Amino acid sequence: MADVTTNSPRLILTDTNFRLWLPLLWIGVIAAAALLAPLIAPHDPLAQDLMLERLPPFFMDGSEPGYWLGTDSLGRDVLSRIIYGARIALFVSLIAATTTGIFGSALGLIAGFYGGWADRVISRLVDIWMAFPPVLFAVLLVAVMGTGLGSVIAAIALIDWTRFARVIRAETMVQARMDYVDSARIGGARRAATLVSEILPNVMPSIIALLMLEMGIAVIVEAILSFVNLSISSDDPTWGSMIAEGRGAIHFAWWVLLFPLIALFMTVLSFSTLGEGLKQRFDPVLK
Amino acid sequence: MTSTTAHTHTLDIINLNIALPRGQRLLRNVSLQLEPGEVRALVGESGAGKSMIGKAVLGILPHKIKMTEGEILLEGAHLNAMTPATRRRTVAKMSALIPQDPLTALNPVRKIGPQITDPLIRIHGWSHQRALARARELLDRVHIRAPDRVMHSYPHELSGGMRQRILIAAAFAPSPRLIVADEPTTALDVTVQKQILRLIRELQRETGTAVLFVTHDMGVVAKISQKVTVLFAGRVIEDAATHTVFENPAHPYTQALIAATPTPNVSARPFQPVPSALIAELHRDTVAADALFAQRGRR
Amino acid sequence: MNQMTQPTPPALFSIRDLRLSFADRAHKPLFGPAPRVEVLKGLSLEIPEGRITGIVGESGSGKSTFGRILVRLLAPESGQVLFDGKDIGALGEAALRPLRRDLQMIFQDPMSSLNPRHKVWRIIAQPMKRYGRGGDRTDAITALEKVGLSAHFADRYPHELSGGQRQRVGIARAIALEPRFILADEIVSGLDVSSQAQVLTLLADLARDMGLTLAFISHDLSVIRHLCDTVVVLHHGVIVDQGPVEDVFEHPQSEITKSLLSAIPHPEMDETWWDDMPEPA
Repeated sequence: MADVTTNSPRLILTDTNFRLWLPLLWIGVIAAAALLAPLIAPHDPLAQDLMLERLPPFFMDGSEPGYWLGTDSLGRDVLSRIIYGARIALFVSLIAATTTGIFGSALGLIAGFYGGWADRVISRLVDIWMAFPPVLFAVLLVAVMGTGLGSVIAAIALIDWTRFARVIRAETMVQARMDYVDSARIGGARRAATLVSEILPNVMPSIIALLMLEMGIAVIVEAILSFVNLSISSDDPTWGSMIAEGRGAIHFAWWVLLFPLIALFMTVLSFSTLGEGLKQRFDPVLK
Repeated sequence: MTSTTAHTHTLDIINLNIALPRGQRLLRNVSLQLEPGEVRALVGESGAGKSMIGKAVLGILPHKIKMTEGEILLEGAHLNAMTPATRRRTVAKMSALIPQDPLTALNPVRKIGPQITDPLIRIHGWSHQRALARARELLDRVHIRAPDRVMHSYPHELSGGMRQRILIAAAFAPSPRLIVADEPTTALDVTVQKQILRLIRELQRETGTAVLFVTHDMGVVAKISQKVTVLFAGRVIEDAATHTVFENPAHPYTQALIAATPTPNVSARPFQPVPSALIAELHRDTVAADALFAQRGRR
Repeated sequence: MNQMTQPTPPALFSIRDLRLSFADRAHKPLFGPAPRVEVLKGLSLEIPEGRITGIVGESGSGKSTFGRILVRLLAPESGQVLFDGKDIGALGEAALRPLRRDLQMIFQDPMSSLNPRHKVWRIIAQPMKRYGRGGDRTDAITALEKVGLSAHFADRYPHELSGGQRQRVGIARAIALEPRFILADEIVSGLDVSSQAQVLTLLADLARDMGLTLAFISHDLSVIRHLCDTVVVLHHGVIVDQGPVEDVFEHPQSEITKSLLSAIPHPEMDETWWDDMPEPA
C-alpha cells in the first residue's frame, strides 16, 4: 500500500472488560431471578408464618434449612422477597429508563442540532424543571396520581428527562460542529437526515451510558418511593419496602435490612459501571 | 558537575531504548551527542519517536512509556543514576522546554509575568527583583513592546506568535545549558515561523545554549541546525552535519525526505513522494532489528 | 479584472465584491449588538474552468471563509457569487441541494470530516445514492480504486486508516459525484511530507485526467507552486496578488507576497535566507 502507517486494532484493556463482564454477570443473575422468580424462589414471598419470624441467615445459629437469608418480622422468606423484588425493580427501571431516555434524548438532539428557538425553548424548560426538588416532585406526583407501577414510572420519566436532554444537547452541539456534518450537507443530505444518520450514531454511546445510569437511578427512586410507602401496594415485595421494614429491626435482625440493601447497591453499581463500560467498548475513536 | 570525562558533552544519549509496557519499542538504540552552543535537529515523520527523545531527557515521558535501556548524561551527569527528586531538580536547573503548542503551554488563568518569573525564583533561587528584571529584559529581547503590560496580561489576550515568543523568553531566561524545542513553529504561519526561528537562533548564540530542535520540516532543519539526526521508526537513520546531509545525504531515506519537501523553486528539482518500496524496506529492517533485540533479551 | 496575461478558459466562478463580517461576541457590550469583524472586504475574482486555482494566505486572511462561501456552507453578506452564470450567493438550502452535487469539498481534517461511525464504502456511497448516481458497494470501490486504495479498505472505519489514506477517502467521496467544482481546504497540512507528496501527486493526476476545476486553499506557497495554475493571495480579507502562478511567484506585486515567499525555509543550505527579514512589528 502507498501509505506508511497503519493503525493497529484498538487495544481493548482488561479494565474495560471487567467493567463490562462483572456488571453484566450481576445484572444477568438479577434478570434471571426476576424472570424465573416463581420457579426458583424457595417460598411464597407473601406467605407469613409467625412461628418463623426473624430467623437468621444460614450461617448463623438458629437458622432454619430452606430459609437461606432468614425471615422478616412476619416470618416471610427474605431471599424469596428479594427475588420477587427484582421483578419489580427491573421492570420499573427498564420501562422508566427507556421512556425517559427516548423523550429526553430526542429533545436534547433537537435542541443541540437545530439551535435557535428550539434550543431556547427546550433549554428554558430544562432550567425550570430542574428548579423543582426532584424527590418532592415525585412524591407530589404519586400523591396526585395515586400509587401503583404506572405512577412510579411516570414520576421517574418526568423527573429525569432533563438529565438526558442536558447531556445529549451538549454532546450533539459538539458533534454538530464536526466537519462530517458539513460534509453531509455538501453531499446533499437534508437536515433531519443528517441528524438521524450522521449525528445520532455518534451520540449513541452517551445515550446508552446514560440509559444504564438511569436504570440504576430508577431502581433507587422506586426504592425511595417504596420506602415512604408511595410505590405499589405495600404487600408486594419491593427492595425499598423491605429496607423500610428492616430499618426498625436493625439491632436484632440486621439481615432483613442488609440483604435487600446489597441487592440494591450491587444492581445500581452494575448499571452505572456497565454504562461506562459500554460507552468505551462501542466508541470507535476513544483512546 | 560531579563526574566529568575528558570532554563533556552538553547532552550525551547512549543507546537509548524506550518502550510501551507491552514491549512495543518506540526508540531503538538511539545515541546522539550535543555540544555546547550547538543546534541539533531531530527530524522524522510522525511516529518516528523524535519527540520521545526530548521527553526522555526532560523526564516527561507519557505515563506507561518507560526507558528500558540506555544512558542519558546531561553536562556529564548520569540522569539515570539519580533519585527522581535529584533528577528533577538537575534537569529543571540545566534545561528548558519550548513546547509545540503555545496555546496550552501557558496556564490560561494566570498572568504572564509570574509564569515566567516563578521558575526563576523557585528553581534557580533568584530574588523577585532579579527575576522580574530578567523577564523584562528577555521579553524586550524577543521584541515584545511594553513588556510590563504583557506581563500583566492573560494568555488569551495575546496572539499565537506572541505567546510563542513569551515561551521562548521564559525558556532562555535562566540561560540553561540545554533547550529542547519540540516543534516550536509547527502551528505558526511562515512569516511568524521565520521570526521565531530567528529569535531562537540569536538567543541561542548569545547564551551559548545547546538546542535539541525537534521538527518534521527539512526546510527548518536546513535553516536552524548545525547537526541533524534523521529518525525512522525510532531508529537513527543518519547522523551528520547539516551541510553534509543537504549536500550529500548518505541514506536514501534522507534523500527521499528532502525530495518530498516542496519548494517554490520548481525548476530546481521536482518534488517526489518517498518511494513506498523504501518505506517497506525500512520497516523490514525495523522488524528484523526488533527480533534480534528480543532474542538478545531472552539470552 | 484583466490581469491574466495568457488566454484563460471561461470562468466557472465569477465573484464580484464579496463581503462578509462576523459578529464579535467576545467584545459585545452589555447592551446593543456585538461589533462586527470584517472577514472578507470586497473580493472580486474568477475561477477558470478546468484549472487549479490556489488560494493562499496566513491565518486570519479569510481564505477558508472564502472557500466555504464557494461551496455555500456559508452565505455572503453582499456581492455576487456567479457559478456558471447563476448567482448562488443568496440561494436557500432547498434551492442549493440540487446544485450541491457540483460543489464538492475535501476537508482539512479527515478525522473529523469522515463520520467515525460509518464504514469507508458507506461514506463514499451515501452522497452518490442521494444524487441517483449508483451508490452501492461496488461504486464506492470503483471510487476508492481511483484514489489508489484497494477494495479491502471499503469495510474499514476511518480510525483504522492512516492520515494519508483518510484524505484519499475524502478525495474519493468528492470525485465519485463527478462534480464541476471541488474545494480542497488545507488538505495536506496535517500530513507527513511523504503522504503529503503522495496526496498532492494523486490530486494533480486526477485533476488532469478528469479535467477538474479545483480551488486549493493552503498556507504553503511551495505546495501551491507545484500544484496550481493560477493563484490568489489573500491578506486580511483583501486580494493582494493574483495571476498565473509563474507570474506571481517570479514577480510578486505586493509586499505581502514577497514576505511570504522570503519566509519559506527551503530545504537547502543558504545562509542568505536570514538576511532580508524585516524585524517583527
